Amino acid sequence: MFRRKRKTNDFGAEIESHIELETERLQEQGLTYEDARTAALRAFGNVTRAQERFYESGRWLWGDDFWHDIRYALRMLRKQPAFTLVAVLTLALGIGANTAIFSIVNAVLLRSLPFAHPDRLVKIIANNHGVGARDVGLSVPELDDLRLRAGVFEQVSAMATGDTNLTGAQRPQRLELAVVSPNYFSMLGASAHIGRVFGLSDEVPGFAEAAVISDSLWASGFGRDPGILGRKLQLDNDPYTIVGVLPPGFRHPGTAVTDVEVWAASGYRADPYPKPERSLRVATGAIGLLKPGISREQAQARLDAFAAQLRAEYATDYPAGSGWSIEVEPLQESLVGNVRPMLLVLMGAVVLIILLASVNVANLLLVRASGRQREMAVRLALGASRARMIRQLLTESLILSLVSGIVGVLTAMAALHFVQFLPARIPRLAEVQMDWTVLAFALLVSLLAGLGFGLVPALQSSKAEIALAIREGARGSGTSGKTNRLRGLLIASESALAVVLMVGAGLLLRTFWGLLQENPGFNRSNIVIADTRIPVPNNPQLNRYAQPESLNTFVREVLRRVRAIPGVDLASMTTDLPVTHLSQRFPINIEDRPDESRKGLFSETTSVTPEYFKVLQASLVRGRWFEEDDQSGKQPVVIVDESTARTYWPDRDPIGRRLSIGRAATWWNVVGVVKDIKSDGLDQFGNPHIYTPIYQFPEIQGVDFFIGAGPLSVTVRTSLSSASLEPQIRREIKAIDPGLPVFNVRAMNEVIDSSLASRRFSAQLVGVFAVVALLLASVGIYGLLAYTVGQRSHEIGVRMALGAMPSTIGKMIVSRGVGLTGIGVVIGLILSGIMAPMISTLLYGVRPLDPEVFLAVPLILMVVALLASYVPARRAARVSPSVALRDS
Amino acid sequence: MSTQEAESRLELLQGTLDLLILRTLIFGPQHGQGIARAIQQTSDEELLVEHGALYPALQRLEERGWISAKWGISTNNRKARFYSLTAAGRKQLVKETAKWKRLSTAIGRILGPEET
Repeated sequence: MFRRKRKTNDFGAEIESHIELETERLQEQGLTYEDARTAALRAFGNVTRAQERFYESGRWLWGDDFWHDIRYALRMLRKQPAFTLVAVLTLALGIGANTAIFSIVNAVLLRSLPFAHPDRLVKIIANNHGVGARDVGLSVPELDDLRLRAGVFEQVSAMATGDTNLTGAQRPQRLELAVVSPNYFSMLGASAHIGRVFGLSDEVPGFAEAAVISDSLWASGFGRDPGILGRKLQLDNDPYTIVGVLPPGFRHPGTAVTDVEVWAASGYRADPYPKPERSLRVATGAIGLLKPGISREQAQARLDAFAAQLRAEYATDYPAGSGWSIEVEPLQESLVGNVRPMLLVLMGAVVLIILLASVNVANLLLVRASGRQREMAVRLALGASRARMIRQLLTESLILSLVSGIVGVLTAMAALHFVQFLPARIPRLAEVQMDWTVLAFALLVSLLAGLGFGLVPALQSSKAEIALAIREGARGSGTSGKTNRLRGLLIASESALAVVLMVGAGLLLRTFWGLLQENPGFNRSNIVIADTRIPVPNNPQLNRYAQPESLNTFVREVLRRVRAIPGVDLASMTTDLPVTHLSQRFPINIEDRPDESRKGLFSETTSVTPEYFKVLQASLVRGRWFEEDDQSGKQPVVIVDESTARTYWPDRDPIGRRLSIGRAATWWNVVGVVKDIKSDGLDQFGNPHIYTPIYQFPEIQGVDFFIGAGPLSVTVRTSLSSASLEPQIRREIKAIDPGLPVFNVRAMNEVIDSSLASRRFSAQLVGVFAVVALLLASVGIYGLLAYTVGQRSHEIGVRMALGAMPSTIGKMIVSRGVGLTGIGVVIGLILSGIMAPMISTLLYGVRPLDPEVFLAVPLILMVVALLASYVPARRAARVSPSVALRDS
Repeated sequence: MSTQEAESRLELLQGTLDLLILRTLIFGPQHGQGIARAIQQTSDEELLVEHGALYPALQRLEERGWISAKWGISTNNRKARFYSLTAAGRKQLVKETAKWKRLSTAIGRILGPEET
């Protein structure tokens, strides 16, 4: 196709030789050279033409035609700037949206984790399925068993993430700390940017002194000091030495509240950890490197058997009903698990958008094609082949889509600058970038769109019947019934696509609005929160708050000072805020429900000061609130929420019942029942919740190793803003203990908003897409009808002349628009009915086949179709009968 | 040869040029100019062959594999591209000749005896 068999100049030489031979022959007959040559040339005929014919006979014209087609296409696009602009903008919108969303999908879901063996890395999760508890943590003996006896892991690294107070750098700061086994980094294949990561020298039963810090802590805390190695820092007052700084791209592969900034190594089996016990789950999680050649499925099967074996071996540690089991999940999955459905829905939405954009441009092309029918017919009459014409038209649409692709990619690139500001908490967002995969995807989408919207009109218009088209073309009309049917089909499919998107958006928005209206169980306005945190040093000597009295004194002193700030009405303190999903989870035992308790019940436990419920304005259902006197040394008391009360004491008064928390033998008396407060998120429910008095902290501390490690939230009811309160709260806490960090000063409304951020993000984005879809569809309907009216004005004129009423004509036009939309709506509703259940994981409080959404969407679309039909219909009704006379 | 002369000659029927070229080459390899000459001479200067039209035909025949070509030296020492008949070309010639004879006989019958 690209190589000629014979060179053109070879052919030229042959002709030259012919002419010379002929000249010589004529000279022999007695002519002079000049006369002979002239005669020879004349006898030959047109040399150039002969050469041209040779050129064409080669049939290797594709390359030349290609460039010709491109030049011609560009000329055509330049000649119709309005058409080109509309088409390019429509397509660029579609391609840009696809590229932007795909670049997120690529970074978050597709690209492998930046670790050495991403396919063999798994998260190890222990579950008590019997009581519906997932990811309950692992104990040292369990970790040893997994490492040594399970036979599926090459390496296992325990990890526990949590808060720590950094002091000794600038002002006290709260950081996310990961306590890991020393093999953690080598297992992930990560090395330090400067210094070293953990190694064999850090293998200690307790805590190693070495600490590894992230690039961002190096920058923010130490100004990228190159002499950082060997620097001391204090984490919860314990001294550490910085041995390494990680490269900027490294991210801890786990779900932490904020990104991990500092890593410490521990063996989990000696001071400060208690003596290892099977039921003492000191590690919050673990990651494992599967042995080469073992698939995740094989590993899971062996682990199921292994867990059964352990359950039998240690029957006392694994209660019969707990259903303790070990699950392995690809690390990538565990990192992105909860955003996957959201991203897939967004991807689906933008695919619908590009389809809609393509259909719209196909429609535009059809309009243009019927305008160009005469041109096509003339070209066919002059001998252009049909294939040649299709190619020409396809080249035009491909150029169009490639130009749009470039505009779209540039738009997406600009949009990606804002990705980091996305409110939604999406893991790996920092890795989002425009790489070759994304560009290849954008190119593919552009080409597919170009072929898709170009092929139909190209096939259609190259079919033009020459005589008919020239004749009709002269009169400026001439769309066959077939083309009209085709355009009708395009309009109907546009409506169908718009319906699908609008239904999706409707369901997500209804979920989101429903959540906004969801009663959180308290009055969210006029609450400001400031977090601080009491350090929990490994070395008890460094603990200022080791004595229960000192902690209680601290809490009372903070509240006394904060309450004194003008504008603060009430002040309280809590270990856990509503809707944040951060509460501590402990096994509980209910005295009069031994059956359930034996299975290993869990409950979320929050410690609060007595005023906390008053600050929240929560409602008491039964019993009493906490009092200042509910403190250490007195009878331990709890308040349970209504759901818990209903679950465990459905037929009895819960007041006065007793339960124990964790491993301690203390019995806690239920003194009150509070109306449910949404603790884990507005869309979460079902977990039992227990509130204990903060002043009975020591009793709680006895129950588990980790208690008290989290932040304490000073929660106040005030008319002041968080910004104006921040410096005052900071000052008061600093006055009590200058070593404590004060962080996250914000209003309760912000807490709730950020808990809904990713829902808000996806609902709004899909909502915007749905509006775009609606616009595209209405433009499509309007375009079709306006064009039809223009084309049929002659016919309409004749009808008018024959006595048709303007209203009849108007109705005719409107009914065509509304009819086509109606067909599309029905198809769209069927498609939505099939597709809606796929997004059910993203819905809350709304059924996938929500009747309101499924009613409202067709209504909106039909109203829009009516409006879009109205303008062309009115124009049709105003056609004057004289048009008929003038035109013919 | 004047224009007048040329105009009195017969124009070739579509498709017959191929046949004439194949026929000419049966006497051995020949270059384009020689073929044109030969056709004119053997037809007693009755047939008009526009020399330029010859080459696309040669090209076509070459592509179909009925003739082959290579550069050589003409009798008067000029470089020229010589065409020769291939085996396939020979078969084609036989076929086309038979067809042509049947056609001309048939047409002759319809037109009736010559009026001279």
